Amino acid sequence: MRLVAGIDCGSGFTKAVLVAQNGFPGSSILGKGRAKSGINMDAAALAALQEALRDAGLSRDQVHYVATTGFGRYSVGFRDIQITEITSGARGAHYLFPSSRCVLDVGGQSTRAMTMGESGKVRTFKTNDKCAAGSGMFVVRAAKYLEIPLEDVGGLSLHATNPQPISSVCAVLAESEIINHVSAGVSVENILRGIHDSLAERAVGMLKRVGMQSEVTLIGGVALQAGMVKALEEKLGAKVNVPPDCDYVCALGAALLGHKRLAIKESLASVRQVS
Amino acid sequence: MRIAAGVDVGSTQTKAVVMADNGDRTILARSLVDTGANVRKAAESAFLLACHNAEIQPTDVGFVVGTGYGRYNISFGNAQLTEISCHARGAHFVCPTTRTVIDMGGQDAKAISVGSDGQVLDFVMNDKCAAGTGRFLANAADVMGIGLDEIGPLSQRSTRPVRIATVCTVFVESDILSYLAQGKKGEDIMAGVHLAIAKRTLSLARRVPIEPDITITGGVARNIGMVRALEEVLGTKMQVSPDAHFMGAIGAAVFALEKMDQSFESSTWRPEHAAGSGH
Repeated sequence: MRLVAGIDCGSGFTKAVLVAQNGFPGSSILGKGRAKSGINMDAAALAALQEALRDAGLSRDQVHYVATTGFGRYSVGFRDIQITEITSGARGAHYLFPSSRCVLDVGGQSTRAMTMGESGKVRTFKTNDKCAAGSGMFVVRAAKYLEIPLEDVGGLSLHATNPQPISSVCAVLAESEIINHVSAGVSVENILRGIHDSLAERAVGMLKRVGMQSEVTLIGGVALQAGMVKALEEKLGAKVNVPPDCDYVCALGAALLGHKRLAIKESLASVRQVS
Repeated sequence: MRIAAGVDVGSTQTKAVVMADNGDRTILARSLVDTGANVRKAAESAFLLACHNAEIQPTDVGFVVGTGYGRYNISFGNAQLTEISCHARGAHFVCPTTRTVIDMGGQDAKAISVGSDGQVLDFVMNDKCAAGTGRFLANAADVMGIGLDEIGPLSQRSTRPVRIATVCTVFVESDILSYLAQGKKGEDIMAGVHLAIAKRTLSLARRVPIEPDITITGGVARNIGMVRALEEVLGTKMQVSPDAHFMGAIGAAVFALEKMDQSFESSTWRPEHAAGSGH
């Protein structure tokens, strides 16, 4: 059994998964763990990996290969390979939903849309590079201002009866709109749903620009919020795939790609030995 | 003596100026209060405080012009004008050679091209993003764990400003944290932040013709780091008045004096407005 760790160093959280491969094509996730990224990405990666190892009941020396992805992927000293979060997100989504051709990844500070081919290879992508509009930070800041734990946001948003529109252009200026809504007596549920609507609008714009195809898979930490999923489905007029561990999909994709890379490396090594 | 007032209800702070005309227009008093959530009350408090500072009664004020984003919430105002007209007029009053105004407020950044009589020829403003606003700087100060008043002077001590590639308030937050983690000095980080915003403001201002003299207005003008960074990218000195923060209210007061001449309407301030205003 070969064991590969995929570590996704995001701007908010670092996620690690351990994937074992017992011959093609079966792969299984043995453990997962996460840690707050903070400013020391290397330490966060190690903490997430150790949690995943504890979860799996395995030890560090049993890990053959470490593949990192995400914004802090180059900061992890003990990595064997680094992969962009676009490639790994697409690969992870393809593994979970083989018929999906379109992925939307809404993370802490970035939103990405990708389309992919039949094998899970990325064809086109768009990402927010200039600013945090449309990213999870929007929700984080709103939750902080409204004094609501982040994990309650999704459920509250589902109960909105009259969502209030919030502009989708700047995460910082939107805060003022939220303050105005609060002072006008708008309920927290309606404000939160307004935020999800605003994120969904931004996301749909991005999906259209990459050439959206049917069956969209939503991944990233923001996909944990039920209200966001509902807002997106309403805007798209279609159901979207949301995997249960939607925030671990990039880490999973990195581990799967790590396995592939490891297999190539090993077969090259054996060819060299023979010759 | 004719007395008029201008009240500038900004997103963050509300400013009021009381002005008298004895053949010569002079500023009698100023006031500054936080806008907070109750915009109407902030406007009343600022107006009453300015009257108090001027040692006059609110009923002595013949005409009040409101400006700023909350101008329509002023219950006692006789007229409302956009902050663009008022900043141009205020800058012209304080510095008549002004041909360009760069206004950096709590939530917006504007560049205004001003004619020789203080009239607005053209303007551009940020409508999409908080870069170049007081909000941006307050956020940066928060991340550094220092006061908003300290970041400007701190940045002036820099010898090697760091490079900040983005102007998104949220992204700059992470940039600051990662530079701190790398052990960069606070002054170099803040100098980099100010420079990034100055460049961004310049690219906004370029969309109106930038002609000298350039006058900076708005609360951000109090930040020496921002003023110096802007002067560096503009390649020229700017007019920085101690009244920069009050420029919108000053312009509104000048308009109020002018409108008084055209109107027989007396002050709309009535004692009942004071109820519950805390003054």
